[in-house]
Amino acid sequence: MTAILSSLSLRDVSFSYGGTSILDRITLDIPQGQFVTLLGASGSGKSTLLRLLAGLAEPREGELRWQNQPIKGPGLDRGVVFQDYSLFPWMSLIDNVALAVAKAKPASSRVQRRDEAIDYLRKVGLDAALAKYPFELSGGMQQRAAIARALALGSPLLLMDEPFGALDPVNRARLQDLVLDIWETALPKKTIVFVTHDVDEALYLGDRVVILGASPARVIADLPVGFVRRRDRQSLYHSADFHALREQIAEALNADTLQLLKAA
Amino acid sequence: MTSVTTSLEPLAADSTIPPAPRLGKTLVAIWQWRDAALVWIVLFAAWYSTSHFVVTSANPLLPTPEKVAEALLASLPELWKGTLSSFTILVPGFLAATLLGIASGLVVGTSPRLQRAFFPFARVAAPIPPTVYVPYAIAVLPTFHLSAMFVVFIGAFWPVFQNAAAGAHALEARHRDAARILGLSGLEYHWRVVFPAALPHIFSGMAVGLAFSFILLTVAELFGANAGLGRFVQYYADFADYPRMVAGILYTGLVTFLAMTLLDRIRRRALFWLR
Repeated sequence: MTAILSSLSLRDVSFSYGGTSILDRITLDIPQGQFVTLLGASGSGKSTLLRLLAGLAEPREGELRWQNQPIKGPGLDRGVVFQDYSLFPWMSLIDNVALAVAKAKPASSRVQRRDEAIDYLRKVGLDAALAKYPFELSGGMQQRAAIARALALGSPLLLMDEPFGALDPVNRARLQDLVLDIWETALPKKTIVFVTHDVDEALYLGDRVVILGASPARVIADLPVGFVRRRDRQSLYHSADFHALREQIAEALNADTLQLLKAA
Repeated sequence: MTSVTTSLEPLAADSTIPPAPRLGKTLVAIWQWRDAALVWIVLFAAWYSTSHFVVTSANPLLPTPEKVAEALLASLPELWKGTLSSFTILVPGFLAATLLGIASGLVVGTSPRLQRAFFPFARVAAPIPPTVYVPYAIAVLPTFHLSAMFVVFIGAFWPVFQNAAAGAHALEARHRDAARILGLSGLEYHWRVVFPAALPHIFSGMAVGLAFSFILLTVAELFGANAGLGRFVQYYADFADYPRMVAGILYTGLVTFLAMTLLDRIRRRALFWLR
């Protein structure tokens, strides 16, 4: 399998909404198995970019390809986890996940779907909440279930749109580790595009940080994150390399903001 | 259309009351219902005193509670038969309206094109008071039973249709996105996502539709029935038997209340997943 065949590629992708340019000629190549974090200020268009990758919106110009196929509409080859827990509230967790299993494996029986859904829910630590409904669960648990549902599609690409933005710091850290566990153990390796506005989160998770400038969004920096895995928060956050990289990102973001202010 | 009030109490109101000791709970319940009890007592006292002391026996228009109770007991077998007769019209008419209203409402509510096509017509047709169809339906359709069912159907259909369409239209973007990501489409999308999401709206429409159904049913029965609840009241009106008339009115009120309560129970059970 060549890298080109199995990668996610964006060529001069632009998007506008109601006459306002949101994304400006974004070009990116993401090899299979890479964990990429998309970092940018709130409202910078990074969620829009993710929606384009998911196929929920179409670019005005440019081309998006996944595994050498143009992205046209949503597909089961791309799982998505949204920030607002998008589980169906009228279904139990098992039914929510089983729905995804049914789509990934149309030939499976009802019992097989159920069993597989339970496996996925166990994998994200929800053994005790299988038959529960979303309204009975905390935000963190709902987001675990949403991850289980995305995994159940069995897609090689996971798109995550600020999935932990609404969580408290403890749950946030736990779920970050859960995602890393999944990514490190999955075979074949999954590609993850993870949108966040939290610099520490981007650096803790990613192989690479792509920084988007605001209005309209374009790539202002694309930095490799070389910290050894498995990363440890304590030592990472105190290392000189981490601070240097953090500084570099802050400068890039600040320069972009200054430019905006000057232009205004 | 939605001006008819429905008995939509906040869901799971009970769960917000902190657990209290048993005796305390009973007292709290009595305390909470004191105003409602007062209204009942005052209304009954007004009826009792008016019928006994203001409207004398020379004027039978307002019978005393005792006479009404007597008439009610004596008429129970007849009222029960009337109820069964009325329900053979009401149940099929209301159910057909509900099923068709939900199905068409969900389909139209999810399609901008169908909305543009049908909403102008619905806006004109829905506000027509369905009671005006009664004489026409009775004239056109071969049996009274059919014409009454048709009128009940029309009355219940529009509120259900409009609410189902509004519910489908108001489907949250996150649920629509999730459905698209999961590759749900067509019937599966409507059955597993749009329908449950629209259920709160649908139940509001059903409550309005059910209230309309009772109104139309009894109005239709005033015209041409030989049995039924509306017919009961009309029949004894012809004989100026006011105790039986009032008994029939009270009984019809009770049946309507029970039907609305049943629908509300079903709604609460079906919507348990709403916070």
